[in-house]
Amino acid sequence: MPKLVDRVKPLKNRRRKKLSAEGRWGFLMVSPYLIQFVVFLSFPLAASLYFSFSKYDMLNAPKWIGVENYTTLIQDPVFHKALWNTFYFTILFVPAQTILALVLAVALNQSLKGLKFFRIAHFIPVICSWTVVLYVADAILNPRFGLANTILAKLGSNPQAWLGDEALIIPVLVAVAVWKGVGYMMIIFLAGLQNVPEDLYEAAEIEGAGVWKKFRHVTVPLISGTTFLVLVLTTITTFQSFEQIYVMTSHLGDVTSAGGPNNASMVLMLYLFQQGFSFLKMGYASAIAWVLFIILFGITMIQLKLQKKWVYYEK
Amino acid sequence: MKYSQKFGLLLLLSLILAFALAGCSNESDADSENSGEQVEIKLGYYSSGSADEKMEELIDQFEEKHPNIKVTTQNAPYSQFFQKLDTQIAGNNAPDVWLSDGVLVSKYAERGAAKDVTDWIERDLNKDEYYGLDFNKDATGKYFAVPQGIQIGALFYNKDMFDEAGVDYPDDTWTWDQLQETAERLTIDANGKRATDDGFNSDAVNQYGMTFFNITEGWMPVLKSYGGGVLDEELKNSVIDSKENKEAMKWMVEGMQKGVLTDPSDLQSFQSPMSPFPSGTAAMRIGIYARVLAANETGINYDVTVLPKGPDGKRFAPVIANSWIVNNNSSDEKAEAAWEWVKFWVTEDEVQKEWAELGEAVPVKKSVANSDLFLNSGDNKINKQAFLDSFEFAGTLDTNAVWSEWLQKFNDNINRAFLNETSIEEALQQADKEVTKVLDDFYKE
Repeated sequence: MPKLVDRVKPLKNRRRKKLSAEGRWGFLMVSPYLIQFVVFLSFPLAASLYFSFSKYDMLNAPKWIGVENYTTLIQDPVFHKALWNTFYFTILFVPAQTILALVLAVALNQSLKGLKFFRIAHFIPVICSWTVVLYVADAILNPRFGLANTILAKLGSNPQAWLGDEALIIPVLVAVAVWKGVGYMMIIFLAGLQNVPEDLYEAAEIEGAGVWKKFRHVTVPLISGTTFLVLVLTTITTFQSFEQIYVMTSHLGDVTSAGGPNNASMVLMLYLFQQGFSFLKMGYASAIAWVLFIILFGITMIQLKLQKKWVYYEK
Repeated sequence: MKYSQKFGLLLLLSLILAFALAGCSNESDADSENSGEQVEIKLGYYSSGSADEKMEELIDQFEEKHPNIKVTTQNAPYSQFFQKLDTQIAGNNAPDVWLSDGVLVSKYAERGAAKDVTDWIERDLNKDEYYGLDFNKDATGKYFAVPQGIQIGALFYNKDMFDEAGVDYPDDTWTWDQLQETAERLTIDANGKRATDDGFNSDAVNQYGMTFFNITEGWMPVLKSYGGGVLDEELKNSVIDSKENKEAMKWMVEGMQKGVLTDPSDLQSFQSPMSPFPSGTAAMRIGIYARVLAANETGINYDVTVLPKGPDGKRFAPVIANSWIVNNNSSDEKAEAAWEWVKFWVTEDEVQKEWAELGEAVPVKKSVANSDLFLNSGDNKINKQAFLDSFEFAGTLDTNAVWSEWLQKFNDNINRAFLNETSIEEALQQADKEVTKVLDDFYKE
């Protein structure tokens, strides 16, 4: 088929020539990003993948050991616990924070006096550091002097060791995390809510829809894009949560005591940090990082697949 | 397409190369400048508030004395300092000399990051003049660090609480059993009842007989004076599952169940597990020397004495010798200059005195530690001699390369015994198993 080749060739030549002239500049222009990408992303990623197959203490050169880190990981009871705790934390935290943020956003999406004050009040915990939150939380959770146990005592119940009880610690940490994080997601929801056109509500009212029906059939579908964003963001940050648990469960900043009692609050990121930076097992920590990556990647993929079923985008 | 791709790749590579070369050339410039008399060393230390200023002052004095050595410093709060240090060692740009927490010396020594300074110590220091050199010696007799200041444990007691209960102050004849008996009379519940009274409520204690926390100021001195411990002499094998440890653990668990000693959950009520004694909520504590600062600050009426004896008369005082480490990767020239700093620190009376005035640690030089400057300094006259006397039966916290890791495993298990979630026997067996695994992973390749 000589004809086709004749037709294609000149086009290809022309394109190549043009690109090589512009390409020079093109590559020059994007080179800051490309360099950044190679130096700060590709290289560390490749290095951590390599480390995950080696024994590496940071102070000496890494030694290739094959899949040993991964096989150890599979048998490591603390890793199992950390994995479970991370899922448990996420399952409690993501719905709790998302629903509460939505409720708050709807409540504060009105034209009432003093609304700004409440919006700001809910946002303040977001900008506080975890160390500050720790002190606020202690005023409530302190086993001897805290508000929670004082109330329990008034009701005639036994005091609880909120952060010292293996069964209670994750729900308690989740509650504090929701308190701190809900304001941020509320703002995202508010932005979504303000994009819902008024006339749709009016139309629904004319059709005889009440408050609940308007919420269920107008608000929910129209902010589903925002809800999806909130869910993805919350899930990812939860899997990577570290600072809160590090601050709230360690004595005097001693990271080796964080994650207690008896590893009941040990999560993947904290375990990774401890193994890597406290115990200098960088190879093992890298393996944990890759497992965490695969889990997050999988969950995000599932979320993306599922979004087709319930997220509506305006055409 | 192909051409432009190649070009792009080439550009990228050359830029990376340029970056790398720029990095290298800086280094070599610096080296060539130093080829003369002048040496520049980097000194790293973790911050401790007011002490930073004094450290800078001493560095200035050092530079005056050694005009050919220029010192640059690197400091940060404790945990950041060590995180950064580890990464710097990995990147081969760590300080030439750094201050290491005493419990971390083996971590660096056994992984080859600390320089063997045995020859220099033999050459320049008279070992009998200093406290604590031997705490940095490994099993083969090599030295990897020189103490900067020493923390050693003694028994702190609140005199007012003893007076109020009408009991005698502790002294060097005490055994741990005697301590617990006395502690019962010093423990008071929310209704004002003492642990020796009928109807005492051990779940609502307002004043503890003794506060008890973690390794140094908790279980290690008790285990060791009962003849037990965690590691064998070689520091490579666990000796956790022993008769002696069981006895010592029984003493601790009984005390906690009676409400006389603080258990891990009691400590949750405090902002810091260190605060019960200085805040006046506990009558006694095992405390390292630095605890004097907090106790002085809150103004409680206290004193110190040596720690009690075990059932067979054995004593043990825990020691943490915070030390100078010379970087094993530094050039000979820089390492020698770094050693000059270490020598300056320990041998110069002036330096030792000025540092002692801060009152954060027991001075390394015996002549200074035994002088009035240390023993009678400060407004609060306490029996500091007790700290010095304790050197006779002092020992490390079984520190080795994987200390923080085995410590975590050990704590996890015995804390469950302290909280009555498991038996002493089971806790020790499980701790033995887990600690052995940590040790074998590192030492038996």
